[in-house]
Amino acid sequence: MLRVSNLSVTYGTRRILNGIDLQIQRGEVLSIVGESGTGKTTLGLSLMGLLKEQAEDVETNGEVYLQERDITKCNEEELRKIRWNRIAMVFQNVENALNPVYTVLDQVKEPLMENKSWDKEEATLKSLDLLQKVDFPSHRLNAYPHELSAGEKQKALIAMAFVCDPDLVILDEPTASLDVASRQSILERLRLLCRDRAVLLITHNLAVAGGFSHKTAVLYGGYIVEFAPTKDLLSQPRHPYARGLLRSYVGMDRAKDLQGIKGRVQFVEKGCPFHPRCTQAIALCEDESPKLVSLGERSVACHRGGIVPLLEVKALTFSVGPLRLIDSISQIVFEGETLAIVGASGAGKTTLAKTIMGLLNSTEGEVLLEGDKVERRDKDFFSRVQMIYQDPREALSHRLKVLECVREPLDIQSVGTNKQVRYERVKAVLEEVELPTEDEFLQRYPHQLSGGEVQRVAIARALVLNPKLLIADEPTSALDASVQAKIVKLLNNIQEKRGLAILFITHDIALARKMSDRIAIMHAGRIIEEGPTGWMLSSCSHPQTRELLKAATTIERLRDSSDES
Amino acid sequence: MIFEDLGKQLKKDTFGQFGIGLTILFVIVATLCPFIAQDPDAHSILTFQPPSSNHWLGTNDVGQDVWSRVLWGVRTSLLIALGVGLLTTAFSTTIGVTAALVGGAYEIVVMRIIDALLAIPTVVVLIVISAFIKPDIFMLIVLISSLHWQGGARILRSQTLAVKNQLHILAAKTFGAGRLHIIVRHILPELGPILIVSFIYTARMAVFIEAGLAFVGISDPSTISWGRMMYHSAKFYYLPVWKWWLLPPGFALSLLIVGFTFLGYSLERVFEPRLKDA
Repeated sequence: MLRVSNLSVTYGTRRILNGIDLQIQRGEVLSIVGESGTGKTTLGLSLMGLLKEQAEDVETNGEVYLQERDITKCNEEELRKIRWNRIAMVFQNVENALNPVYTVLDQVKEPLMENKSWDKEEATLKSLDLLQKVDFPSHRLNAYPHELSAGEKQKALIAMAFVCDPDLVILDEPTASLDVASRQSILERLRLLCRDRAVLLITHNLAVAGGFSHKTAVLYGGYIVEFAPTKDLLSQPRHPYARGLLRSYVGMDRAKDLQGIKGRVQFVEKGCPFHPRCTQAIALCEDESPKLVSLGERSVACHRGGIVPLLEVKALTFSVGPLRLIDSISQIVFEGETLAIVGASGAGKTTLAKTIMGLLNSTEGEVLLEGDKVERRDKDFFSRVQMIYQDPREALSHRLKVLECVREPLDIQSVGTNKQVRYERVKAVLEEVELPTEDEFLQRYPHQLSGGEVQRVAIARALVLNPKLLIADEPTSALDASVQAKIVKLLNNIQEKRGLAILFITHDIALARKMSDRIAIMHAGRIIEEGPTGWMLSSCSHPQTRELLKAATTIERLRDSSDES
Repeated sequence: MIFEDLGKQLKKDTFGQFGIGLTILFVIVATLCPFIAQDPDAHSILTFQPPSSNHWLGTNDVGQDVWSRVLWGVRTSLLIALGVGLLTTAFSTTIGVTAALVGGAYEIVVMRIIDALLAIPTVVVLIVISAFIKPDIFMLIVLISSLHWQGGARILRSQTLAVKNQLHILAAKTFGAGRLHIIVRHILPELGPILIVSFIYTARMAVFIEAGLAFVGISDPSTISWGRMMYHSAKFYYLPVWKWWLLPPGFALSLLIVGFTFLGYSLERVFEPRLKDA
């Protein structure tokens, strides 16, 4: 039905859209998601041929075929015939889209009488029918736009878009001005109206895209960065931006604390549009913009092929005599992701961490870091993988001052040419973990600090080498609840900023819920169940997992049981 | 930190004050010898003189001033104490720490050598060897040290084993630290207190052994040694000179050893918090 190929739009010197390729079949809904300013609305307007009216210096290249006709080649007269009749759009800005001197009913039937030359009676009937379909209150039909609520205006606009029975409908944030309850009802109605049409849904709301569309394209900086069936994209995004969007989304099915995307949208001259905000960018990303590469049903535009698998363990086993403390564990931790290993004491969690770190020698299996097999744990390995421990007071030498503790990894790895360089780096990382950087603090000994401060110093020490993977072994279990909360927030913030992958080891599934993207349950040295955190909490099936969930702290349940007694 | 603790501990520890006072006194005497004592080797025909204003402790069989020889003897004893203390501690640290860190066959061999040395009566061996090679004072230092590192090495090995699996040392390993870094930055500071205490006790033992060897006649004749003075004076026990020739070096020796012992006790209390208020 609609085929867009290599569509580019330039305002003056600024490229808003770059080489967009899209196809929508009849009966298919494609959603375009992205933050404000990524070019979503421009795409919609360019399909309507309405860009010329937005600005003088706009330039459009590429082809937009509606069935067999290239509408970029049409003149204004031809476009007017196509608009409303074959392509209709529901505009985002409900306030200005209605003519203030017409009543709702007149407004909806106007295109029918103007474009299709229907007579007044037929047009009124059809309009009433549509207004009813969108649940517009019947007693408000003769109201003027200024008398309507935003939701009512939105409904009127939707009715207007569908009144001429178009082949292609562009919905630009159709539910943005609606409250959650009416959003649900209008989406139900839209779904009926959209049947047998091609629909392009422009939205920043992933829940709307998820409930409504078959395929989703993620737009950033005028490029499509990921294109995939909606279900796949929302369950496992592959582009770092798509994941960032998903992490910023507030939903009842989200367990992990909200995380955003570092930085803000900015215009990029060359290279991948996302590279200033991307946590896994390499040199190439600054120079060349990546092509959208197809990976089966999904396409991703990323020089690194999407989110990188950072750490991979394959059939890792550690045994003492006949006893297998870790029994052929295989897991992947992706860049910027938190994988929680949850299990009771003695399940082998810490042994797993130590085996990955090389403090224990695995008996079988292998560890891969960024795709390369780790043969021996040398300085290079430790500059990319770091660990924080359960008891920070034990993990820091009580004979070293804060400055010396945090600088030690730099000294060992001979980072920087002199002490001043290292000193600056220590200060920067202390700032990152929200600790004071005054000399007075740097000269303190660990026993002069509070529990939370000591753990922060330990985290700073682990981060000072800029590792890509952090193994956190019960980092909060020795801390008070309020301090634990702060450390959890800190780790999530650092992850957002640095794209740090975290292997989070805990016995507390409630804590894992707040921290992790995925949970793997460990029992007797094996991973018995694993999955995305939200799914694990609602749909896990293994009895051991259920047991852990049942034992997890809930204030409500504690109160119930005390009532009974 | 250590010195602050030491200061605090000394304030309430009379034995410690006494020990450190004695040690400092001996060091001052050794330094000022040339100014406060006569030439110890100067002969005269005035032999076997009783104490007088010229010769506070009289003279010996060849007319040398006994008081001056006691003062100069401090130098020998302190040199032995310092030399053997340092060398023995160095031996035992190197061997004990590496045995614990390297492990394997090396550790087994080293531990068997230590067991063997512990079983041998080292003083007897020392006498036999010295009788053959007739050591001067520096040779003697090496000789005593090479036969007395085993006890310290055993203690340091066991301490290193206890320390090496501490979390902060594992953490240092996960920054890529090599053995040398771990020994110098983490293990030695942890062992510091033990090293200092073992140094003091070894020094005390060395002073005693040197005096003992000299007393049985095994010493370099050109060295002024308290043990040798007692050895000579004991030959003239039928004369009354022993009162001012035999007793003073013996008294000085006892005083130095008592000083070291009290200092050692005091340091032990500083480094071992459980003993602090004992």
